[in-house]
Amino acid sequence: MLGYVAIGIPCGVMAAEVDVSPAAAFLLSATFYSGAGQFMMASLALAGTPVASMIASVALVSTRQLLYSAALSPYASRAPRPLALLFAATVTDESFGVNLERFASSGEWDVPRATAVNVLSMLSWAGANALGAAVGPALAIPTAVMSFAMTSIFVCLLAGQRWDRVTAVVAAASVLGVIVLKALGAGSLAVLLGAVLGVLAGLVAGAARGGRGGAR
Amino acid sequence: MSREEFLVFYLSVLAVILACRCVPLFVLKGRELSSRVSEALGLIPVAAFAALVANDLFDPVAGVSVPALLSAALVVAVARRTGSLIWCALTGMVAYALLGLVM
Repeated sequence: MLGYVAIGIPCGVMAAEVDVSPAAAFLLSATFYSGAGQFMMASLALAGTPVASMIASVALVSTRQLLYSAALSPYASRAPRPLALLFAATVTDESFGVNLERFASSGEWDVPRATAVNVLSMLSWAGANALGAAVGPALAIPTAVMSFAMTSIFVCLLAGQRWDRVTAVVAAASVLGVIVLKALGAGSLAVLLGAVLGVLAGLVAGAARGGRGGAR
Repeated sequence: MSREEFLVFYLSVLAVILACRCVPLFVLKGRELSSRVSEALGLIPVAAFAALVANDLFDPVAGVSVPALLSAALVVAVARRTGSLIWCALTGMVAYALLGLVM
């Protein structure tokens, strides 16, 4: 939760720079619940990007959620539909990483607990954003430094994965894929396509090794 | 951005985000997945986080930022030692700010 505060306040400060009020920042954060999307929204608005381009960019950067949703589906198979809906609607990068690790390593971890993690994280995120929007310019932290908090959290979640030859191939292919795709101008789609490339490379590497047995 | 433009932006993006979050889970929920599909799903976390890190560290116009790379390397060390998101976030921000001043 504290991680969300560390990155939520800077995100709220950026939102305040484009005239988003603390109440709007709370609502936006509680429903979008997307750090990358919200940092992007503020950056694009500050740059004077047309609304249609902002919608396309922020929507596309959120398409990675398709992968998270698919990855979590086996664990939600017995959850009641309303709970599964709340669980699915409140997943984000960080809670996805935390919950998937718990699901994979602990047989006692279930959808109600995972949903509680999601909702509490979401409230922490939304509260921190509202606080950031309230204090706004009083926190004179450069935008690049603020947004590096989010990069650091992604690095932490990546470093915390279980590593073997196949996961190394997945990571290398994803990184290379994103770099090439961004250089080719794929923009907001680079993350989704790079991740898909990484998964495909991992499947090939796993097959070459004779199956990865027990990857989950 | 006017209030109307913000509303259009907000509702459009929210619809896409909710669809991306909910549709795959409900489509796949309760289905018997093949071992190949299960294996692919198990690879998603590494692929997604590696892609997000690369997306943040590589800018096709500015290239690779050395302070960002060094800060990320420091964060890896903190992550391996503590596993703490908050320590990683704080370390990354401080390291990036300081390295940006000296490099």
